[in-house]
Amino acid sequence: MTALTVQGVTKSFGTTRVLHGVDLDAPARGLTAILGPSGCGKTTLLRLIAGFADPDTGTITLGEQTVFAGGRSVPPQRRRIGYVPQEGALFPHQSVAANIAFGLSRRERRSGHRLRELLDLVGLDREIAGRNPHELSGGQQQRVALARALAPEPDLVLLDEPFSALDARRRDDTRRAVAAALRAAGATAVLVTHDQAEALSMADQVAIMRDGRLVQIDRPATVYRQPRDAGIARFLGEAVLLPADVIDGKARCALGTLVVRTPSVTGPAEVLVRPEQLRLRHDGDGPTATVREISYYGHDAAVRLTLHPDGLPITARLSGTELPEPGSEVRVTVTSDVLAYPTPDTRGSRPPGEALVRHQ
Amino acid sequence: MPVLGVLVALLVLLPLGFVASYVATSSWAEIRQLVLRPRTAELLWNTSRLIAGCVLACAVLGTATAWLVERTTVPWRGLWRVLLVAPLAIPAFVNSYGWVSLLPGASGYGGALLIVTLSYFPLVYLPVGAALRGLDPALEESAFTLGRGPLRVFWGVVLPQLRPALAGGCLLVGLHLLAEFGALQMLRFPTFTVAIYEQYQSSFNGPAANMLSAVLLAYCLLLLLAELRLRRRARYARVGSGAARPAPRVRLGALTLPAVAGLALLAALSLGVPLGSLVYWLAKGTTSHVAFGPLGVAAATSLGLGATAALVTVALALPVAWLDVRRPGRLATLIERSTYFGNALPGIVVALALVTISIRVVPALYQTVPLLTAAYAILFLPRAVVGVRAALAQAPPVLDDVARSLGLSAMAGLRRVTIPLTAPGLGVGAALVFIAVVTELTATLLLAPTGTQTLATRFWASSDGLAYGEAAPYAAVMVLLSTPATYLLTRDMRRASSG
Amino acid sequence: MRRSRRALPVLLSVTLGAALAACGGGSGADGNALTVYGAPHGELLSAMADGFTQQTGIKVNVRPGADAELANQIVQEGKASPADVIMTENSPAMGLADSRGLLARVDTATVAQVPSKFVPSSHNWVGFAARSTVLVYNTKALAPGQLPVSIMDLAQPQWRGRVGIAPSGADFQAIVSAVLALRGETATRQWLDGLKANAKAYSNNIAILKAVNSGEVAAGVSYHYYWYKDRAAGGVSSGNAELRFFGNQDPGAFLSTSGAGVLASSKKQPQAQQFLAYLTSEAGQKVLAASKAMEYPLLPSVTNSVLRPISVLDPPEVDPAKLNGPEVVTLMQKAGLL
Repeated sequence: MTALTVQGVTKSFGTTRVLHGVDLDAPARGLTAILGPSGCGKTTLLRLIAGFADPDTGTITLGEQTVFAGGRSVPPQRRRIGYVPQEGALFPHQSVAANIAFGLSRRERRSGHRLRELLDLVGLDREIAGRNPHELSGGQQQRVALARALAPEPDLVLLDEPFSALDARRRDDTRRAVAAALRAAGATAVLVTHDQAEALSMADQVAIMRDGRLVQIDRPATVYRQPRDAGIARFLGEAVLLPADVIDGKARCALGTLVVRTPSVTGPAEVLVRPEQLRLRHDGDGPTATVREISYYGHDAAVRLTLHPDGLPITARLSGTELPEPGSEVRVTVTSDVLAYPTPDTRGSRPPGEALVRHQ
Repeated sequence: MPVLGVLVALLVLLPLGFVASYVATSSWAEIRQLVLRPRTAELLWNTSRLIAGCVLACAVLGTATAWLVERTTVPWRGLWRVLLVAPLAIPAFVNSYGWVSLLPGASGYGGALLIVTLSYFPLVYLPVGAALRGLDPALEESAFTLGRGPLRVFWGVVLPQLRPALAGGCLLVGLHLLAEFGALQMLRFPTFTVAIYEQYQSSFNGPAANMLSAVLLAYCLLLLLAELRLRRRARYARVGSGAARPAPRVRLGALTLPAVAGLALLAALSLGVPLGSLVYWLAKGTTSHVAFGPLGVAAATSLGLGATAALVTVALALPVAWLDVRRPGRLATLIERSTYFGNALPGIVVALALVTISIRVVPALYQTVPLLTAAYAILFLPRAVVGVRAALAQAPPVLDDVARSLGLSAMAGLRRVTIPLTAPGLGVGAALVFIAVVTELTATLLLAPTGTQTLATRFWASSDGLAYGEAAPYAAVMVLLSTPATYLLTRDMRRASSG
Repeated sequence: MRRSRRALPVLLSVTLGAALAACGGGSGADGNALTVYGAPHGELLSAMADGFTQQTGIKVNVRPGADAELANQIVQEGKASPADVIMTENSPAMGLADSRGLLARVDTATVAQVPSKFVPSSHNWVGFAARSTVLVYNTKALAPGQLPVSIMDLAQPQWRGRVGIAPSGADFQAIVSAVLALRGETATRQWLDGLKANAKAYSNNIAILKAVNSGEVAAGVSYHYYWYKDRAAGGVSSGNAELRFFGNQDPGAFLSTSGAGVLASSKKQPQAQQFLAYLTSEAGQKVLAASKAMEYPLLPSVTNSVLRPISVLDPPEVDPAKLNGPEVVTLMQKAGLL
């Protein structure tokens, strides 16, 4: 069952078109992440779904109810949505309890039963109910904001970059707590984020937005492993993109001859190699590279290399146990098959140095 | 909202338009006869040298005291913080009354400079002190580690960061001086505003008064443009997140005693003299015994007018501040800017315009409380806008969104979120207007309904007749009424400094 | 933060209550009350208004103001003026109102009560009090032999920085108008130029009296009653000061007439005429003489024994209707005194 359907939605601010015909289905009880760089239009889409603003064209349906079509719009307070904005936006003049109970009826507010239930749901200590928002940590504030949004049992919960203001450790804890609470509540959720790790780890479905269009909608593993184009590939994580020549399912490139997973592609192409696909050895086959620098993270490490003979910079991700010395020469091999994207004609002649690593 | 904002701006610009159209319809010969004459040059010179001297003195006093209290080890800092703001509770004309009634020689340029400086230096002290508290101490610490002494750190690192606050305070002093009437009249130091009132008395709403108003408005415009430029360049003193750390304090050591003596002297001059004089005249009261009846009536009238004007002005400030906060842009800036004319317009100019306009256009409003309230609103709108804008910043639009997503209608959201959040700020705005109305003199004299006497007009009538003992109770009640609002103001500024 | 939120409703209700109270109590409007635009000093006005109310039961609302201010105000207000009666301290302002046709003719019975030199030929207003021009001087600074013979002498260089005037006040302007009427424009202009160079400007006559008494200036141009009033109250501000009456029909001996008129636009003509009749009646004049105002009553039958008798003042003959306010203001503006 689909909880949210967006069809052909466009939106302009002045002369700037922000959304160019967006289509999206969000399955019930699932978490859909809308992932895109800042300024791509994802927050605008969220606000249109919430009803804080209206599309220029298109329709929006929540469950059975069409909330926007042909210029007729259901106001936000009648859409049965929950909304968790950036940094929580708790009401500063009200206690935690009053914030959570804000959307409840007067009777429910009095009973306090639902309040305790919600605090438990988002994993907060019941003792903080009496505190004021400014006495909470950022992660706690976000959990309160989620509890507040879930309190009236909305059909759909919208989360707008809810974790971006948190520091790394809290962000992870809070993400897991929020995802668990959403699942426990059986809520349908749409999360807007620019953080691919967040989208991949939390969502059941990831919708990638670029320049006001949804360019790929798939399960997290699919978008990561089979990005529809090189741009998406780069956006979803560190990617080594190499110019290649594909013939009969084999790509010849600076890393040797690799097996291509996408048999339809032939001719000039770009192959996508993820850093974790690379292995380094001191001897054996494969092209040689010089180790430039190593960033050690504990659980693994990023090794930056210069590939011979063209001097292409590439990155390999290795487990932390067997690292080469900076300055040493190594041989590079690729462990599994790769993706290839046909090179548009205009791109054929670009200098190789630019082709490669993009960091998120 | 934009329409409401434009209407408010038009109301505020009414006196300006009146003066401008008056000048536009005057013949060149008339303008030359009334404006280009030695008296104008004399007033220009008086006004300019008073503004220059007083702004400079206030800047030095305000910054020095703020630095002593916020950045040094001077003892009894809590006490000084109160005493350095307290002069704001004493209207400038009560202050000059305090001085002149004891020292009749305290008049002319020297006296005026001394007394208005004592009245207005807190306008610099407050923002500079707030800025000092908000500065990131890391900058100073870095400067110290680079081997700079305290004075060089202050001069080279602290002072440049204080510039926006300092400039803002100085501008406020300048605008207050342009509009000041009572204090300067009592000190026999004619500036434009004083001369306009004299012209009015000698030729009710005559051409000369309007021409002088035009010159005065040009002067105001100059100051406002200066403010616009400064504001554009102003930045928040501290960027980045995290709680502010207290800054390192400079050890005064042997200089402690002179510092305390200086602060004590300033407090004695700015508070001791006027309050002492007030107590002296209250106790003496030989001129007449206190007439409690008229005093009560005047106090109730002031209170009522102040409260009415405060409510109306805050209501008018709402669309202006709302546009400025929620829909920033050219129109919002234009509207907000135009309301600032009120800060610079002397009461007499506004009153003269409203008298003429009401007689010609709406005679039913002439000499009524609504017209007087309109004058107060025009004059004091900027004070309300400041408070309302701060209040609206407390309630960002995302909270409206959240409230609506939780099923609240716009009205319910207003009731449960926006109003509770903005009320304290609105209260501050209202208090600022209230305090200003209670001590307002010229517009009240011209526009009040016949028989209406406020504390300020009663005080003025008595002290103008040099019946100091008779004036004292009215002044005392004005100071009492101003005190809570002053406290609110300083609390607001103190809070603003930490945010 | 918390506390202020609870305090706010209290604050709001208090202010609201006060606002309502003010609207109820502030106006004090009474349908039958006379509205008087009155320039004379409070004690004089309230004494006479109270006497009138006692005699007739008609209440009086006074809007205080300066002479020219009030006269020009009724000019501006025209037919819409809320005023019924205008009272000024000096006659030029009455002349201005009369010249614009704003005043109703005064009842003949009232005119008949007043000596004719205090009534303009138009009979559109009447005098009800008089005040004499004087030079108030500091007895330590000036010996009687050093005093000027005429008020015109004050323009001479030896008075530089030693004389005080109140140029923005109607009192002084009335004196200038007398000089203008008696000596002509050229002499008046020269005199004003001399005063601009010599005189210290004060805001009013009380300030002049205090300045003379303290020795800030040696002498000042004023009206007689400020000194008399202060002497009657103990002489705190006049102990070192004495009065020089110029006499001799000098412009400086000018006797200024305080006048009252009924506005033609008034809807309470009978009551307003009644008020004028009272002001100039023996009863009204006695109230004036007995008040602390120390101004001269106009009826020969009523005198204030404290004052130098009006009969020995020897003032110049000036038709009160001929005193020209606007022209004086222009002359003073040209001289830089305004």
